[in-house]
Amino acid sequence: MATANHPAAPKLSTGVQPLRAAKGSSFLWRKLHSLLGIIPIGAFLVEHLLSNFEALKGPAAYAAQVKFLNSLPLVRVLEWTFIFLPIAYHAIYGLYIWFRGKSNIVYYPWAGNWMYLAQRWTGLVAFLYIGYHVATQRFLGVSLPENPGASFHKVQAELSNPVILAFYVIAMIAICWHFAYGIWLFAAKWGITPGVKSRKRFGYLCAAFGLALAIMGLAGIWAFVSPQYKNAPENVQVTTLVEPGR
Amino acid sequence: MATKTVTLEIKRQASPDSPAVWEKFELEWRPGMNVISAMMEIAANPVTVDGRETTPISYDSNCLEEICGSCAMRINGKARMACSALVDNLEQPIKVEPLSKFPLVRDLQVDRSVLFENLKAVQAWVPIDGTYDLGPGPRVFPAQQEVSYPLSNCISCTCCMEVCPQFNEATGFVGAATIAQVKLFNNHPTGRVLAEERLRALAGDGGVQECGFAQNCVEVCPKQIPLTDAISDISRDVLFQKAKDLIRS
Ligand code: SF4
Ligand code: SF4
Ligand code: FES
Repeated sequence: MATANHPAAPKLSTGVQPLRAAKGSSFLWRKLHSLLGIIPIGAFLVEHLLSNFEALKGPAAYAAQVKFLNSLPLVRVLEWTFIFLPIAYHAIYGLYIWFRGKSNIVYYPWAGNWMYLAQRWTGLVAFLYIGYHVATQRFLGVSLPENPGASFHKVQAELSNPVILAFYVIAMIAICWHFAYGIWLFAAKWGITPGVKSRKRFGYLCAAFGLALAIMGLAGIWAFVSPQYKNAPENVQVTTLVEPGR
Repeated sequence: MATKTVTLEIKRQASPDSPAVWEKFELEWRPGMNVISAMMEIAANPVTVDGRETTPISYDSNCLEEICGSCAMRINGKARMACSALVDNLEQPIKVEPLSKFPLVRDLQVDRSVLFENLKAVQAWVPIDGTYDLGPGPRVFPAQQEVSYPLSNCISCTCCMEVCPQFNEATGFVGAATIAQVKLFNNHPTGRVLAEERLRALAGDGGVQECGFAQNCVEVCPKQIPLTDAISDISRDVLFQKAKDLIRS
């Protein structure tokens, strides 16, 4: 009895505790967080930025795109199950991950460690932005699902404020960064790229993809602030579902 | 007196609960000096730079050739093996601190039993105990040897855990070393018998999923073990194991 606790080798009464082998469900929740980031959230991001691209063709084309998306069957159900709820889960669980990690970039200023930190900050920017964006564009003001014709003007009015425009631009870059590195992390952590070289090559691919996505996103923003469609009408007539060209 | 000197600042703590103090030492420079040999000299004459007598510094070390894994500490802020930390390559004063993520015993000595517990939790061994002679083991082909050998080099120094942002009391993350050992033993023709159990163990709370892929572990590992490759491979294996268990349950 007396020898059970040698002072030089105390029991793990303090410090980091050992693995809870095969216990708990954090594996499932963590993998769900990871998967949702790609599908559906990432897939939706790509769809959204592609849709924004329509704005470059002017208010009418943009309105047609909004109308088309809102005419999808069960669109409100799709919206909640594939967009709002996954984003909310991804964001809240993401914050939980962040709070439990202890960044040590000061002592170990290595590339991977920087990216680890950047993934957390870009995630936060994305979270704040998406919360704001969904509130103002989806739930406040003119309801776009019912009035797709008003969509161009609504976005334009919001972006006329330079502070908000800056917020949009910063968030666009942060989100594309977060998604691109997220794909890279997904491949690494799901064992798709288990080799140093494969991770490096895939890294270039993700960087190119992220850059392309960001450029596309910024072009979408440009459509609303460019002189070409200045003072767009508050409402445009949406006649046809898809309007090829003009 | 133009003798070259070496200055060390060492964080001391007499017991887990006593306050930490920094002590400064100045030693005569010698060729090939490393942090452990410097502390051996301090032990021979434990007097601080301002002439105050003190106690020899307490630390773990054994092999003095970076193979036993006992002398990990933070040197100028970074976790590394003290016996291979050559004084000539270090900025002075050399700041020496204990590892920060493990319970302190005294001075630079910390209790790293968590790694041992983790290795036990995943059964990081080849089970060959029995009541009769099991005969010769199966052959390990050279291609497999090349994958396994680097993993078998782990010296259990815990540097990879110290530098991991995910290894802390909040997560109770298992750390890269244990994950790499799972890969080693799961690839061993006899060790494989426990493969499924090891993978299930690693899906527990604090398991492989906690890794944030910051890749500090692989940067710091004194044995250059391909830790991130192992984490990637084992994550996939754990995932497949969980999926299999799900549809077969
Ligand atoms: S790659 Fe994973 S195990 Fe290695 S330091 Fe990063 S979080 Fe820790
Ligand atoms: S994997 Fe490397 S850093 Fe980690 S305990 Fe083993 S030798 Fe040390
Ligand atoms: S004393 Fe053995 S590794 Fe340093």
